[in-house]
Amino acid sequence: MLAIKTEGLSKYFNNKKAVEDLNLQVPEGVIFGYLGPNGAGKTTTIRLLLSLAKPTKGRAYILGENISKSRNYLKKIGFLPEVPSFYNFFTAKEFLNFISDISGMVKPNKKIEEMLQLVELNKEKKRIGTYSRGMKQRLGIAQAILSDPPLLILDEPTSALDPEGRKETLDLIASFKGQKTVFFSTHILGDVEKICDMVGIIKEGRLVLNDSIENLKKSHSKRTLFIEVDKPKKLMETLQYLNWVEEMSPVNKNGIILQVKDLQFAQKSLPEILSKENILLNKWELKEPTLEDIFLEVVHNGN
Amino acid sequence: MVTKLMKKEWNEYLKTGKFYILLFVFIFFAILSPITAKFMPEFIKSLSQEITITVPPPTWRDSFVQFSKNLNQIVFIVIVLVFLGSVAEEKNHGTASLVAAKGIDRRKWVFSKFLFQILFSLAMLTIAFFLCFYYAKLLFPETQFYLAFSSTVLFAVYLFFILTLTIFSSSIGNSMLQSAGIFFAIFIILNILNIIPQVNPYNPMTLPSIENQWIASKVAWGNTIKPIISTVLLSLILIFSGAAYFHKQEL
Ligand SMILES: Nc1ncnc2c1ncn2[C@@H]1O[C@H](COP(=O)(O)OP(=O)(O)OP(=O)(O)O)[C@@H](O)[C@H]1O
Ligand SMILES: [Mg+2]
Repeated sequence: MLAIKTEGLSKYFNNKKAVEDLNLQVPEGVIFGYLGPNGAGKTTTIRLLLSLAKPTKGRAYILGENISKSRNYLKKIGFLPEVPSFYNFFTAKEFLNFISDISGMVKPNKKIEEMLQLVELNKEKKRIGTYSRGMKQRLGIAQAILSDPPLLILDEPTSALDPEGRKETLDLIASFKGQKTVFFSTHILGDVEKICDMVGIIKEGRLVLNDSIENLKKSHSKRTLFIEVDKPKKLMETLQYLNWVEEMSPVNKNGIILQVKDLQFAQKSLPEILSKENILLNKWELKEPTLEDIFLEVVHNGN
Repeated sequence: MVTKLMKKEWNEYLKTGKFYILLFVFIFFAILSPITAKFMPEFIKSLSQEITITVPPPTWRDSFVQFSKNLNQIVFIVIVLVFLGSVAEEKNHGTASLVAAKGIDRRKWVFSKFLFQILFSLAMLTIAFFLCFYYAKLLFPETQFYLAFSSTVLFAVYLFFILTLTIFSSSIGNSMLQSAGIFFAIFIILNILNIIPQVNPYNPMTLPSIENQWIASKVAWGNTIKPIISTVLLSLILIFSGAAYFHKQEL
């Protein structure tokens, strides 16, 4: 079953299409990274999924339930808002007590202690109003997972954290793999690369990609070659007239990065050319694209 | 769920000091009312020794004239200002969306706030009434319980309406300021409508003047059925439409 599925989900603000014809598919149990530049529509998508905003068009299903039918599905979701704000007059412990109360948890005290320890707020006796943004974000994570919901929706969970806090949070999210579905938005590619199974990329309100990281790397890459030869100039002159070469750029002294249409074809043709032109091959490498390469490619070229 | 949410309101009122503000205002004006009624005329006399002003001797009724005046002015303003942000400020601050995203029925959330506010206010009003009555009896032994009590009950009906208007305004507005605008706009329109004799008997805004008439002469529940029933109906419309609006609103 899909944890999140949307069909043509759209949200317009006046004429601004914040989310347009979104068809998301997030299988159960995966860690899903929702990537996009500023203003792409990530927060708007999340607000739609939580019924905090009304869709202009389209439908969404969460854990099999049509979200416009009833709001009961929300009880199965832990949510961390982009800018966490809580009741400033409570302490962290009092606030989690309130959350456990309204989530209908029985005997929550042990769990609350555990959570406070997990986000390192167990010794904090001050009111939430005095917290730093990072402390609030950590409390936000604690309240999201407190009642042990099967689906977590986190809007930029690491944005305000220091490097250590970020690593701990990512490790925590990664530890849910297979047990919970985690849908989180972020700008930070490294975070996605480290812990996600799947990724969705949204650009100007449209989903330009929704795939597993594995597939993504397979399909998007492996068409980039790095070669080092003794006469790079001569080789580039020859290659520029060939139609299977898409892009070419010199690197370092003798290196060339090649984007090719068909990798296997290139693997066969290149040696021929090299021997015909009497060029020595020193190094040959298939380049793994980083997620950043893919992200930039997708965001700049559409798909 | 409603009691759990009310418990949070209670904690909030204790921790933010709203509880003490309201407690102080109610108690202060409850005690002050009979005292001013008793000593104000003498005080005025003592100020003007050259010209002799004839001030009628104070009666026990003046205690409750003062009490009603204070309730309708200062206590009214304080209550409205304290309660007006209850929903709107949570929307503005983002805690409303947090609670809504937990799957809490938003209508219950609004009702729990209203229920807390009305119970809290009625408790305060009860304390204030008995304090005022105690001091009035002390200063004016002939003070009548039935009239004093009845006029306070009538004020409670009016207060019920004001609280529903407050929660309605708070549910519609997205900030304290917007809600205040909505509240006072409706409040002023109702007061203007009160000039029209045909609307008058159905207008909640007639209740304070009826209260004053009672205090000046005698209790007449029979003639007050119409405004009471229409006030209660209007209140129910306000609270239900406010909650329904908030239920559908984007947060
Ligand atoms: N309430 C609103 N009214 C009008 N426009 C809005 C509203 N909310 C969002 N938008 C617009 O919709 C677009 C998407 O906004 P959104 O907040 O979803 O972006 P985002 O991907 O979360 O960006 P960021 O990475 O900066 O958080 C933006 O152009 C924004 O200006
Ligand atoms: Mg955002």
